[in-house]
Amino acid sequence: MILRFEGVSYSYPGVDTPALDGLDLTLHPGESVLVAGASGSGKSTFCRACIGLVPHFHHGRLTGRVLVDGLDTRQYPVCELFRHAGLVFQNPDAQLFNQTVESELTYGLESLGMAPSEIEKRLAWASNLTELDSLMERPPHTLSGGEKQRVALAAILTLRPRLLILDEPFTHLDPEGTEALRRILRTMRSEGITLIIVEHRLHEIIDDVDRIVVFHGGKNVAEGPPRQVLSADISTYGLNLPPMIRLFRTFGLNQTPFNVDEALENLKTQNLIAPFSFHLSEQMSNPSSALTANPSPIVEAENIWFNYEGRNVLRGVHLKLHKGECVALLGRNGAGKTTLIKHLNGLLKPHQGFLRIFGRDTRKTPVSELSRHVGFVWQNPNDQLFRPTVREEVLTGTKILHPYDPVWCDELFNRFGLLPLLDRSPFSLSEGQKKRVSFAAALAAKPDLIVLDEPTAGLDEPFRRELTGFISQLQKKGGTIVLVTHDLEFAAEHANRWLVLSEGQMIADGPPDEVMANSTVMAKAGLRPTQRFQLTQAIKHLGEKN
Amino acid sequence: MIFNHWSSLAASLGILAVIVLFLHLGRPWLHFLKNLGFAGLTFFIIAWLAFDLITGIVSGLRLLTIGTVFFLFFQTTSPGMLSNALLKMGIPYPFAFVLSASMQFVPVLIRRARNIRDAQRARGIPIEGGLGTLLHLPALAGPLLIQAFTFADELAEAMEARGFGISGRSFRNEPRFRWMDWVAVAISLAALTIVLSIQFL
Repeated sequence: MILRFEGVSYSYPGVDTPALDGLDLTLHPGESVLVAGASGSGKSTFCRACIGLVPHFHHGRLTGRVLVDGLDTRQYPVCELFRHAGLVFQNPDAQLFNQTVESELTYGLESLGMAPSEIEKRLAWASNLTELDSLMERPPHTLSGGEKQRVALAAILTLRPRLLILDEPFTHLDPEGTEALRRILRTMRSEGITLIIVEHRLHEIIDDVDRIVVFHGGKNVAEGPPRQVLSADISTYGLNLPPMIRLFRTFGLNQTPFNVDEALENLKTQNLIAPFSFHLSEQMSNPSSALTANPSPIVEAENIWFNYEGRNVLRGVHLKLHKGECVALLGRNGAGKTTLIKHLNGLLKPHQGFLRIFGRDTRKTPVSELSRHVGFVWQNPNDQLFRPTVREEVLTGTKILHPYDPVWCDELFNRFGLLPLLDRSPFSLSEGQKKRVSFAAALAAKPDLIVLDEPTAGLDEPFRRELTGFISQLQKKGGTIVLVTHDLEFAAEHANRWLVLSEGQMIADGPPDEVMANSTVMAKAGLRPTQRFQLTQAIKHLGEKN
Repeated sequence: MIFNHWSSLAASLGILAVIVLFLHLGRPWLHFLKNLGFAGLTFFIIAWLAFDLITGIVSGLRLLTIGTVFFLFFQTTSPGMLSNALLKMGIPYPFAFVLSASMQFVPVLIRRARNIRDAQRARGIPIEGGLGTLLHLPALAGPLLIQAFTFADELAEAMEARGFGISGRSFRNEPRFRWMDWVAVAISLAALTIVLSIQFL
């Protein structure tokens, strides 16, 4: 046994509710375990307890016993425990503190006073495993999110811990980055390293783990082989189930297919292909896609070019957005998505070409004027919170912009569940609550167009469901929505039009199914069709064969 | 009187410019001058108005020369080498590390500040430079400070988890003093002695 939690309870200093509440868990060497749970279920605290940061770094009250590789974490300091268990934190920026990738990787080994020859050996091993060989001389802050994540992982790997813990490693990765990380984790698993992956998006990793442990309220509430856990009723724990399983549930099937092939196999053996494909097509025809095209677009971009630090980030983008549309903007990290959306309210001005928002040229209109019409919800709500209370935070924008509509704002407070929080400081809220505040703040000025930047990243299933509600309500009121996301399942569910950016060029523009059917475009943008789409296609092929 | 005369200052700036070009740092230097230019110009104008034109030119040139020296120093000396040198001088590891690491985080914090500025402008807060920025400073400084604090906390955790500050640390790249370094030190000392003797004798 490599890790053992015996009735562990822990509360952070000054907080009454315990973060861990009588947690029992045992891990054997070589196991790969997925720890799943909604926000606030104690996942991150658990990670910190595994390497002794809880309680040594955070203080607070810990009862029960945590044994890492046989060492009681209460008796051994973090600097002793870190050679046995390594933790890759959620935020890659805040764990890279050296000048080059190479020195980042060797830092831990130097701490241990290791001999140079051994350092070289481990460096070569870890950099090879994490596919970082070509980046060794680069300063970490110049890397992409996915690369940073791999550096953070490699920096821990060089220590060759027997137990490796990753805290939500997939949150900021694009589909290709996700695939690369998954590949690395598979290799590590085959090398016999014990892995704990903390994640609430189960489908990213479910194929590669031996066991799932479900956390809820700081306790271990379900545990076992993936299939066994997922076939039990775990709907109350706020997990984001794999898409095929979710689809089966809506059809009333209780099987647990992890991927498209398994789903198809399942349907075949039960002779359910025909009714299932009917079910699929029925779900597809959502009313919003039958939208009548409005002749005058609200956003009109003509051949826009933008360069940054000598690189063309946007290269001749054309774009039209119509009232009432929900559009998803997709593409890999660095394809120009963020640059493009920053053009939508004039934060950035095109170097060539022009952009008209509600008929006004963004080059000649101040941002503060355009932001009356265009609201933004950014990925990180912490970028905007600065007022002493939630109420003031939400009303800041609308009070500057006018017209301030108190009835509408009260409705927003109500809809986003902010009424009990109005007089609290926004800084004291949980990340999910902060996100709600930023939603309400963006909507308070009644914008006609709202841009959501990675709305699902790092958020759990209950919030995703709420988000679904917000989006459809907004659409009913005639609002126009632009979603920027890596979450294709989400994009396919909500958007009636997909725009795909690759290397600064718009390479596709059309309904989701049409875009996904174009395999050249998908490959070029580093995207994979949703599982649901793959299943529909597979069923269609089956029909053609028979 | 060597540093009070514009010709000697221009000559030393010329020598520095040659070194800059020799090291292929021309482009970053121009970029640096663009940023320093405004300060240099203000300095020149103030000194000109307060004293006379020659003092203005000398002051402006001095600022450019000092700036270029610092520019060359930081372009040719990585923070890692700097902290290594400090360690060799007997400064405790945590202090030397903080010095080199803090330089690492300047670009990270600049990026965050940019994100914050964009997020606030997108809400209609008019921070487009000028007076508006001053009036709405809390909208920028508030989130940045909070983020810097959480960042520092997260960083401390991550460093702890990689054995920061435990005794018996080894260094993979330990630079040694080579004959080149002795030559550089000798030339620098000689030049300094000459300059000081001209100045004061």
